[in-house]
Amino acid sequence: MPSAAEVKALYRALLKEGRKFPNYNIREYVKRKTKEDFRAHKAEADASVVEQLWTKAKSEYEIAKRQAVVYGMYARCQRSIMDVPLQAVLQEQASSGPYGGK
Amino acid sequence: MRLTAGSNCLQALGVQSAGLVRGFAEQGTFLDKKDVTDRVLSVVKNFDKVDPSKVTPTSHFQNDLGLDSLDTVEVVMAFEEEFAVEIPDSEADRILSTSDAIDYLASHPMAK
Repeated sequence: MPSAAEVKALYRALLKEGRKFPNYNIREYVKRKTKEDFRAHKAEADASVVEQLWTKAKSEYEIAKRQAVVYGMYARCQRSIMDVPLQAVLQEQASSGPYGGK
Repeated sequence: MRLTAGSNCLQALGVQSAGLVRGFAEQGTFLDKKDVTDRVLSVVKNFDKVDPSKVTPTSHFQNDLGLDSLDTVEVVMAFEEEFAVEIPDSEADRILSTSDAIDYLASHPMAK
């Protein structure tokens, strides 16, 4: 059975792997799914269930690592609209719009 | 600084690649402690599960702010994003309060 420190380390590793996806949707999905799944079982006491979840989480970590590399290879240079901070868009519009600027 | 087309592309996408794009000439400088304190506190206050009025420069994440160990991991990840640093697991486990985070980040040469 994994120790609390090991579980935390895997949680961290999975979240870090999630950050590497260039595609907004997949990046957010990996982070959201990791958080939800770890939280759903945070009080799991049955050793055999924990062992099963631990094995599953480790294999999912391997998948995430591999897919982050693959998605990185075929990344588009165009950003998702969700990656552009709203503040920046509003400032841009304010300075270049018909009533903005000087 | 010389970059390949690939890393430019990743940068444009906002991918975390601090190690990839940092030049040799860039010397580490330490951030001002007051500035670090303000930014650390704003990161913690913006965390969903935290009551912003309870956050002080010495709050303990689990005892004072009611976060669990998974939340603590998430808060440390948020610090990494805010200050563009990689915090190794051994150090991350030792950041248990806002004061730990402030001390660590103020003494980190690459924090920005």
